[in-house]
Amino acid sequence: MAIKTILCIEDDRFIGEMYVRSLKKAGYEVDWLVGGNDGLIAARNKHYDLILLDVMLPERRGNEILDSLRGGKEDLIPDTKVIVLTNFEQDDESRMAMEHHADGYLIKAEITPRKLLSVIDGLS
Amino acid sequence: MEVIENESIDAEREIENYWHIFLKRSLTILSAVEVIVSIIIVSTLMLTNLIPATLFSFILILLVTTIWLVTVNVYLFKFLVKPFRDLVSAVVHVSSGTARAIPPNPNFYHYDKDGFKEILQSVYELSVKRTQPKKHITSLDEQLTQGLNHTTTGVIVLDKKRQVIYANNAAPTHIDSEGKRVLDLIFPDNSNLDTWLDKTESSLRSENQWSRVANKPLGDTDRRLYDVAASYQKNNAAETVITLFDRTDLYAPEEDDLDFISFAAHELRGPITVIRGYLDVLEDELSPVLKNDQAELMQRLIVSSNRLSTYVNNILNASRFDRRHFKVHLNEETLNTIYDSIKDDMQLRAASQNRLLTIDIPKSLPTVAADANSVGEVLSNLIDNAIKYSNEGGLVQVVARPISGFVEVSIIDRGIGMPSNVIQNLFHKFYRSHRSRETVAGTGIGLYICKAIVESHGGIVTARSAEREGSTFTFTLPIYDTVADKLKADNNSNETLIDQGSGWIRNHSMYRG
Repeated sequence: MAIKTILCIEDDRFIGEMYVRSLKKAGYEVDWLVGGNDGLIAARNKHYDLILLDVMLPERRGNEILDSLRGGKEDLIPDTKVIVLTNFEQDDESRMAMEHHADGYLIKAEITPRKLLSVIDGLS
Repeated sequence: MEVIENESIDAEREIENYWHIFLKRSLTILSAVEVIVSIIIVSTLMLTNLIPATLFSFILILLVTTIWLVTVNVYLFKFLVKPFRDLVSAVVHVSSGTARAIPPNPNFYHYDKDGFKEILQSVYELSVKRTQPKKHITSLDEQLTQGLNHTTTGVIVLDKKRQVIYANNAAPTHIDSEGKRVLDLIFPDNSNLDTWLDKTESSLRSENQWSRVANKPLGDTDRRLYDVAASYQKNNAAETVITLFDRTDLYAPEEDDLDFISFAAHELRGPITVIRGYLDVLEDELSPVLKNDQAELMQRLIVSSNRLSTYVNNILNASRFDRRHFKVHLNEETLNTIYDSIKDDMQLRAASQNRLLTIDIPKSLPTVAADANSVGEVLSNLIDNAIKYSNEGGLVQVVARPISGFVEVSIIDRGIGMPSNVIQNLFHKFYRSHRSRETVAGTGIGLYICKAIVESHGGIVTARSAEREGSTFTFTLPIYDTVADKLKADNNSNETLIDQGSGWIRNHSMYRG
């Protein structure tokens, strides 16, 4: 499945803009939301091929969003890939829980936009 | 209060006087009866002419008979009335509350024999019960329950179905929506109470301990941290007994520190992300227009921001390691794949400082059991050190080879080297040699965390050096095949669980075979 549409849930303005800029330049359609609640609503209302999910978000944390989408009996986004992008060093249990429901878990400081593009390429 | 006291003293006096009144009355009646009986006896004897009927003989015989009868009866009376006297005496003693007289002894020989002992003792017992404050506790169970509820040590008892059948006040439990009492304890994923009980149910008895078990997730209010001990005995009505020692005061400050470092790292990584990200973007987009040394300056920016990122990781890892929160997840990896993930960064660092970095990792090397990210950090720390401590134009070599069960990786430089007395302190936290303190930047925890990571894999890290000749840092990683069975056995033979881990860092010596 080729990835075309991407939802980026990221509250840091600079980081968000940086990802959106590179992703759009690479030809993806990108929606960018800064709040946890808005992010969850967008993820449920529209189909995306990929969600880039931050953890430390206002209103609703990334792990809660992932839990709402994939933690229940039914996977609400079966045709969507999820990459968790965070700079927060979570404790092992929380990290494991998120990795279990996600297709990737990356530390933002270690991932430049170019590397992110190659990771997304690898997912397609 | 005074009135009541006077009344009770009066009552005591009345009881005490009663014995004298009783004695006087009894003896008077007895004596009178004896006199009458004596008169009847003497008169009968005179009338039947058995004795001479003179006044003298009448008075004499009457006197003798009376004295004899009174003596015998008084003696008999004393003997027969003794229990009654002692009973009164005991009541007097008990009611007075003070030992004014010696209390009657219930162990008197006859009393022991005829059972009066019990009657006297019950008088004393009644008095003991009366004088003791009234208690609500009637059974041992209640006493135990009250005792367990005032201790700060949590006690939880589970039955065969692992249901809570008892939990004292200090035990972290709550009632769930189905009305069942459940434990509020967050055990480590790979070693929780249920997995231990699953394993242990095949044995007759077993014990286990956990350290730093929290009742709530990090960040929640009133989070407590416990050391937990559980003991299991098969077929006991109370099959599993869990004891919890609240160690929050001891562990919480450390957790707060860790929390602070995690948040601080998060803050630092934000700007680093943007700097590294845009540098990467700009290098790509600006490369056609950069003039003269601008491209090199750009590279220095990139190298510096990459180093900054490494330092933040080192601080985080060291902090976690010190608090035993550092875990490695061992998977089957090739050394080449691990190096590839840091290759660009390392080549850039070497090039920007005019060092030649050569890598000799044979493709034929066996796979290793490694945590790719952590080993990547070891490699980049050691290569970065070699770059920093070597000379302009110098050569840095990375070579790898298999040696009995391990893959050995060496990072060799021809740089400034170190005197031998420095080497033994190299892997200590914050240690930096006198010279490096002045000439080279760094935090002094790079080698400390390298050692921690390598040893957590079951490998060792060593250093050899000679001043002005250079240094060689060597570390080993276990060959995957030699530890695969142990890794799998640790995780219920489920390969997907292998990367779920291996417990605390200090437990990892077990993978050394």
